Amino acid sequence: MFTKKKLIVFAVVCAIFAAGEYWIFSTLQNTFEKNSVKEMTSLVRAMTASAPKDDEDLADWSGQLAGTYAGNRFFVIRGVPGEEGSESVGGDSALFDILGLPANAATAEHAAESVSYLEVFRWPEKVSFSGVPYTLMVAPVPDEENGSARATLLAALDSSGYVAYGRLVQTLALVAFVLFALGFGIATFSRDPISGYAILVLSAVVVAFVAYPLFEAVRLTLVREGRFSLDVWKTILSNRQYLQALWGSVQLGIVTATISTFIGFMYAFAVARTSMKGKKLVTALATMPVISPPFSLTLSIILLFGKNGIITKQLLGLQNFNIYGLGGLALVQTISMFPIAFLTMQGVLQAIDSTLEDASLDLNASRWHTFSHVTLPLAAPGLLSSWLLVFTNSLADFANPLLLSGSYHVLSVESYIEVTGMSRLNNGAALSLLLLLPTLTAFLVQRRWVSKKSFVVVTGKPSTRLSDLASPGARRALTGFVAVVSGLIVGLYATIVAGCFVKNWGIDYSFTLVNIGEALTRGRQALVSTITLAGIATPIAGILSMVAAVILVRKKFPGKRILESLIMTPFAIPGTLVGISFILAFNKPPLLLVGTGAVLVINYVIRELPVGLEGGVAALRQIDPSIEEAAADLGADQATIFRTIILPLIRPAFISSMSYTFVRSMTAVSAIIFLISARWYHITIQIYNFSENLRFGLASVLSTTLIIIVLAVFGLMRLLVRQSEFLEKTVTTQ
Amino acid sequence: MAAKSVPVTLSSVTKIFRDPKTRAEVHAVENANFDVKPGELVTLLGPSGCGKTTTLRMIGGFELPTKGRILIGDSDVTFLPPNGRQTATVFQSYGLFPHMDVFDNIAYGLRIRKLPQSEIKERVEAVLELVGLSDLARRAPGRLSGGQQQRVALARSLVVEPQVLLLDEPLSNLDALLREQMRVEIRRIQKSLGITAIYVTHDRIEAMSLSDRVIVMRDGRIQQIGSPGDIYERPVSMFVAGFVGKVAFFPAQLEGMEADGRALCTVGGRQVRAGSAAEGLGAGARVVVMARPESLRLVGRGEAVATGLVTARVYLGSSVEIYVKTDAGEILVQLDDPSGKTIPSEGETVWIGFDEKLVRVLPAE
Ligand SMILES: Nc1ncnc2c1ncn2[C@@H]1O[C@H](COP(=O)(O)OP(=O)(O)OP(=O)(O)O)[C@@H](O)[C@H]1O
Ligand SMILES: [Mg+2]
Repeated sequence: MFTKKKLIVFAVVCAIFAAGEYWIFSTLQNTFEKNSVKEMTSLVRAMTASAPKDDEDLADWSGQLAGTYAGNRFFVIRGVPGEEGSESVGGDSALFDILGLPANAATAEHAAESVSYLEVFRWPEKVSFSGVPYTLMVAPVPDEENGSARATLLAALDSSGYVAYGRLVQTLALVAFVLFALGFGIATFSRDPISGYAILVLSAVVVAFVAYPLFEAVRLTLVREGRFSLDVWKTILSNRQYLQALWGSVQLGIVTATISTFIGFMYAFAVARTSMKGKKLVTALATMPVISPPFSLTLSIILLFGKNGIITKQLLGLQNFNIYGLGGLALVQTISMFPIAFLTMQGVLQAIDSTLEDASLDLNASRWHTFSHVTLPLAAPGLLSSWLLVFTNSLADFANPLLLSGSYHVLSVESYIEVTGMSRLNNGAALSLLLLLPTLTAFLVQRRWVSKKSFVVVTGKPSTRLSDLASPGARRALTGFVAVVSGLIVGLYATIVAGCFVKNWGIDYSFTLVNIGEALTRGRQALVSTITLAGIATPIAGILSMVAAVILVRKKFPGKRILESLIMTPFAIPGTLVGISFILAFNKPPLLLVGTGAVLVINYVIRELPVGLEGGVAALRQIDPSIEEAAADLGADQATIFRTIILPLIRPAFISSMSYTFVRSMTAVSAIIFLISARWYHITIQIYNFSENLRFGLASVLSTTLIIIVLAVFGLMRLLVRQSEFLEKTVTTQ
Repeated sequence: MAAKSVPVTLSSVTKIFRDPKTRAEVHAVENANFDVKPGELVTLLGPSGCGKTTTLRMIGGFELPTKGRILIGDSDVTFLPPNGRQTATVFQSYGLFPHMDVFDNIAYGLRIRKLPQSEIKERVEAVLELVGLSDLARRAPGRLSGGQQQRVALARSLVVEPQVLLLDEPLSNLDALLREQMRVEIRRIQKSLGITAIYVTHDRIEAMSLSDRVIVMRDGRIQQIGSPGDIYERPVSMFVAGFVGKVAFFPAQLEGMEADGRALCTVGGRQVRAGSAAEGLGAGARVVVMARPESLRLVGRGEAVATGLVTARVYLGSSVEIYVKTDAGEILVQLDDPSGKTIPSEGETVWIGFDEKLVRVLPAE
């Protein structure tokens, strides 16, 4: 706590640290400055040494220099400036104007004096032209006998690198000081320094890896040549192609969300409100598309309905069928995303107390009447909420349109092409920010409106259903529908597996094992690096999210809401935006990370933190805080409590957070496609490359491998979580 | 295993909670001053929401006082975290570690202190013996009865030999019979270890039967500190009188104080010399006369201070309770040794008088 003595100690230590830092960084900067002056001096000496011998040729010289030393500016004066007989010869007259300014008279005199002694003069202030800083050098061109200056060269050398270095050094010094002061402050004043450090570390992580990249992305779209400008946005919003992409994304989102919500509701109703058989199997099959790797369903759709598709070409003999575009995209997105609607709606239907429906049936209302007047109105907020959820997912989707959009434009792919194909980073950033608009709107509607209106009747206890809300005929129709969709899912996955063993899909369907060998050889490095990096990210994200959960649930501190929002942010923003903002922020000092494995690991961690956090928070809320207080009371510090009490008690959340991180990192695409390097490749991008090159056999093998890994991880997770189920029971009954 | 007993001192301790959303202030504890002597058991008694738990949590280090100082022994512990002070708390919900068995729960604090394995075993077994749970060492806490869980919580706190034992309504989850047994048990253990203890309860019987001294609280303020006898017989206010036991109040007029502390007043038109009076009362003050059921009796019309109809009679064997509806509210009169006496029946009009020496004058509220 704040006592006078502690405050004094704190102030003194901070002052000593600041002084030491100042000494180190000013020494660094001075040394750098001296070296760069030396370099620049010898550079202009070399220039003047190569001056044309003939005074008549001096007129062209500045032009030649500007050609040779591009990015710098030159001006040539015959004689010594300010002296009798001096005369401008040519070049960038803006340089000469500087010498002539009344405020600069004294300096100009110094310069002239140096020149007449045949010495190079460095203009003490930086000069700047159209936002770029330059160092102005005034150099003599010696005559033949090296006795006097026959001409003077004004050379403005681009110093933006030098200035940037200075700024970098200052920034680092400041960051170091702030971190030190915070850390030392926590150690001095906090009753619970361990939690203090945890808050500090988490804040540093989200500021550096969430807020800073996003800030960079926004900044890039608003700044041109060092000035605020809306040019980028004007370009974006007036360009037909971009607007088309925006409309394309929204259109696709609407179609996918509507169909998915419909199918999802049918599924949910069949599972929650009828006596259909095989509910477990249906649910398991429906979760497959959610966890399966990207590109796999698209791949399967291409194998079935593409130009050489087994259905379109072999079975139906269609020649010019085109699956690429809105239709195909809506199909594949619906299959991948209707499970989201299904799971949401299932939750909603289970939460609605079915005794209401029973009451309605008891009152001799027909089943249809009960459904349309009781069930549907109660489920309406849930329907809207799952529609919005699918809509945002569809908009953020990158992998499916990447392979399947054809000439149809969507924003996520468009921004990717802008960045990697056209190298127009600012447009790419703006486009992905544009994507945020509908997503954010949907997110806010969801938060503000739906969450308030939903679950009108929630009793908390799961109600035991007895009556069947569908007539036998309706139930049969519903079962048939569910069976067809489930069959389609099975068929799609079977196609991928089949693709592994076929020599040349569409042409030669003979059995082969060659694909497997080739795919695993060529994909080995990608597979190894993917598993390695996902393996590194997993425990980090797991621990960090549980620590964040403890801090956000149990601790009070200023800025808690901001920290929470920053941690949750990557959950709400599309992967392409994350990827683009990462290359913007981490392709330059002070955090030069692009090209390393670290940037991928960081990306995995910050993108999976929100999910882990939510799980951890839910688990912690189940635990009586006095359990942790008792541990503290018995002498345990926060770290010990976390290790010996909290982590064992929230083990299921911890394990599932880790397995989700691992799986999602293994199957990531949208963000990491911007961040991979030759050294750190990713298996999903390898699948994409194989598919782009029509090597569907190889793509199938890698997809299947990935599916197997994913299923294995989830299987393992279930096993581990089940073991600790007894624990959950005792925790909640406490 | 008794450690050296230490005193606990609170000086001007105030705790203000601030609602994070509305910024509204809740004055949970206001200007609390008291000290607990070494080896003493003091209860904090008061109605729900009066700040008992908050006071205890500040002593345990779970809350920081907004103002004031807390001392344990000679050292100022106001800002120390719970793991930095020699207190041990028995929580209302026990807070047992569900993933550890009884033995490990109790051993937890010793393991944190990195004691050798053999000593841990010895001490845990000793304390298990003390609370009578030796047979259940390897049970999971989820499979214990409420009383057993309570004893594990107590044992877990005692085994680390704290200087101060803090108990927050430790018996409130138990049934009446068990509560009585555990009350005796806790008192026995506390006395035998000579440990300083602070006990929070809203049950006056518990407070009266357990404590060396009782601190009565209301709305975050301390109303009175005293021995159980003190606060029962000589409460300072109508609130304390009513909270610690059954009582009847008669509106009265204070005429004056006598040298021996007795107070002269008029009740129901009669002149009375009450046994004692609260401090700071002067002639003419608006007062009431408080009488406990055992000091009341039925009298003839001439001696009465109140009259009314009998609404109920309750036989308790050795005594009879008679409820009388009077102008001053419903009054309970306790008649000892009822056999042979005529007991008024319901609906009958009776006159109530009291033993002057046993009644007390309090300021009216
Ligand atoms: N963390 C908190 N934030 C805000 N207000 C609080 C907090 N804890 C307690 N209070 C308020 O402080 C007051 C005192 O609470 P406290 O828990 O100390 O009461 P108590 O005497 O223990 O009551 P009970 O007998 O019901 O346990 C109450 O009005 C309560 O609402
Ligand atoms: Mg309480």
